[in-house]
Amino acid sequence: MLALTLYLFAAAPVFAIASLINATLQPSQISMGESAELTITSSGSSMGPVALPEVAGLEFRVIGQSHRIEIINGAMLVTTALIVRVTPKAVGIFTIPGITPKSEPLVLRVNPEGSGNSSVLGNLNGSGKSPAGVRADGIRLTADGSAFVRLILPKRDFYVGESIPVDIEMGMRNGFVTSLNGLPTLTGADFTLNNLSHQPERVPKLIDGKEFTLLTWHSLLAAVKPGKFSLSVESPLTVRIRTRPQRESLLEDSLGDPFMQNFFGATVPKDITVASPPAELTVLSLPSEGRPPQFSGAVGSFKIASDLSATTAAAGDPLTLRMQVSGAGNFDRVDSAMLQRLDTWKTYPPKSSFKPSDPAGYNGEKTFEQPLIASQPGVQTLPGVTFSYFDPSTRRYETARSPPLAVTISPSLADTSSSASASSVTAAAATGTGTPANSPGLRPDHVAAAGEAGQNSLIPLYLQPRFLAIPSLLSLAFAGGWLGLRRRASASIDPRDGRDRVVTKATQRAVMTLQAAARAGSAILFFNAARSALLGTVGVGLDAESDEIRQLFALADEANYSGQQPTTTEFERWIEIVRRRLLNGQPP
Amino acid sequence: MIGRTPLAILGLALALMACPIREAKADQPRYSAAALYNLGNSYARAGKPGLAVLNYERASLLAPNDPDLDANLRFVRASSHLPSDSTGRFSRAVTMANATVVSWLGVAGVVVLGASLLLGSVSSRRRWMRRAVTVMGVALVGFTVCHGVVLWRTLHAAVVVTNATQVRVSPVPMGDPLFTLPEAETVQIAAEHANFVLIQTAAGKTGWVSRANIVPVVPSKNLP
Repeated sequence: MLALTLYLFAAAPVFAIASLINATLQPSQISMGESAELTITSSGSSMGPVALPEVAGLEFRVIGQSHRIEIINGAMLVTTALIVRVTPKAVGIFTIPGITPKSEPLVLRVNPEGSGNSSVLGNLNGSGKSPAGVRADGIRLTADGSAFVRLILPKRDFYVGESIPVDIEMGMRNGFVTSLNGLPTLTGADFTLNNLSHQPERVPKLIDGKEFTLLTWHSLLAAVKPGKFSLSVESPLTVRIRTRPQRESLLEDSLGDPFMQNFFGATVPKDITVASPPAELTVLSLPSEGRPPQFSGAVGSFKIASDLSATTAAAGDPLTLRMQVSGAGNFDRVDSAMLQRLDTWKTYPPKSSFKPSDPAGYNGEKTFEQPLIASQPGVQTLPGVTFSYFDPSTRRYETARSPPLAVTISPSLADTSSSASASSVTAAAATGTGTPANSPGLRPDHVAAAGEAGQNSLIPLYLQPRFLAIPSLLSLAFAGGWLGLRRRASASIDPRDGRDRVVTKATQRAVMTLQAAARAGSAILFFNAARSALLGTVGVGLDAESDEIRQLFALADEANYSGQQPTTTEFERWIEIVRRRLLNGQPP
Repeated sequence: MIGRTPLAILGLALALMACPIREAKADQPRYSAAALYNLGNSYARAGKPGLAVLNYERASLLAPNDPDLDANLRFVRASSHLPSDSTGRFSRAVTMANATVVSWLGVAGVVVLGASLLLGSVSSRRRWMRRAVTVMGVALVGFTVCHGVVLWRTLHAAVVVTNATQVRVSPVPMGDPLFTLPEAETVQIAAEHANFVLIQTAAGKTGWVSRANIVPVVPSKNLP
């Protein structure tokens, strides 16, 4: 907020009267030797002629005029104030007539000098003592008159759990309070306060002729236990404190404007905590008599309504049953299970949403939505829903009821489809004569072939277990036959073949040994190896000795003593004889 | 020559082939391509494109090459502002015959393959002919397998039968809606839970739909 204040001093005692005019006297009680201040405020940039009142025993003297220009969100607000000093000449109670015919008269009480009655103006002028007590409007200013906080409660008893709408007002004198250091808080622990918005309502206000900015928070208070309590709120803020005695700043204060006061008198910032006057309140327990079983703790004044998302639906389709609870109260405790355990319905837990109609959430509408699914077709009636709460105005429990709701449930589309498919085979429509081909773009119906039996399943045969048994058994049969043939073929092969392979390998080994001995020229090794190989062969199956074999055995015996050395040709001849003998088992 | 056990198995298989596999139970519905096609036409004329498409899809399982059926299916889908299924050349070739014929072709393939195997064990003559028979058997069995693979999507498809069907993020009635499906759209069934079915659209979006809003092309009972 941008404020620009201009001062113009005027000597003329008569001013024009503006259309919107207000007069305040501050303080309303002074002692002899002190002065009060009469502030005449009008809207606009100029003030018309004002006739100063004439009261016997009081002296009126204009000490200044101020213009105040405020630009709030681009809108300009101009006010003009005429400051008049009122100085008593005698002790007594004086009535100052209204400035305009419709204005209320102002009363000034003048006490004898030194009577001890202090005043705000006196304090501001240098006494520095505590301010006066709580005013009639519930305001208690701080010691320097720079701020106040006030808790506004309804004047009645409350119940535990009930939401109590409260207003918290904070007045800050312009130019004296430099910052608000936190939101107002409760001083007691027996109550809970809903979150305060960070942007309270903000309005200018004149209190005893001084310009204040009034901040107002709207919230909800709730008591946690019964009893009698004293409740107040407090808030931290920073104010500017003069460093010079206030008596020396009489001129600045008499100017009546914070800007000039700060200009002429040096100040320092100081953090203080301003508290509201304590408010006495009584919290009662909720009565146990007549408490409904479904009571959820809702306290206030409510009414309900209900409706369905559709009046017709198919079996199996979800419907939504809505219940609206509207009114004023503690909506955080407004709860309902709605419908439970219905014979032909499947019910689900409801969901809720709250739509407040005021910033504190005291008034509004809470909507419950419960999904329901009908299991049977036909016209069905849903019973009405109920909601129980405690009404603090009547001091008893109330139960609100909504009327029953009728809904038509048709058979499920899925059922319709399957039944239609089942019946279609036997129905006349299946023959193509049931429906006319009158739709453009749609090809005509088919005529079913005579004797067409149809299938009992849309699943392909090769995926049906009974049919799959056929290829499985066929595969098993073929595999078994193939294995049987293989076994028989193996059994039909000549058993000597196995022995042949053995003999061939033994013959090769023996021939290789004989060849090695022949190359070495060792007759002893040669004939001994030949005899050993042939002896083994005889063991396998030879049954007759030939001359060559006898001769070979004789040579083997002789070779050990005679040292006779066969020729190469003879070695080859004997190798061939041994090989054939080993392979065939018969003499070559 | 083959042995008693394989002969007994072969006899059992032949007996199974001869027994009335297609005999329906009394309470089981019987499906006819013509009846389903006519039913689809009836629903199309009645302004129920979802049920029309459902019956056309069912009819196409029994009569895959019916031009009238294809035309009406495209017409109903186009009327509902839905794109028609675009099947590839391979899929069209594989699904040329209906599933029953393909099933028996598969059985024939098993018989041919087994016979060639046995003949090869008995005699080594006419080896090229045995190889040709083996290839034919493998081809018949392979054709049946391909038919099953191509048809698998249709077997697990469902048709939306209600307009603006809510697709939810979870299988509960109060689940937050993800998107809506138009009537007559064909979706794939991925999973089932209580009264809800997890579906996947052709665009790849997934979500849970109430069973009351969609009908499977093939009734899910006994579906593999």
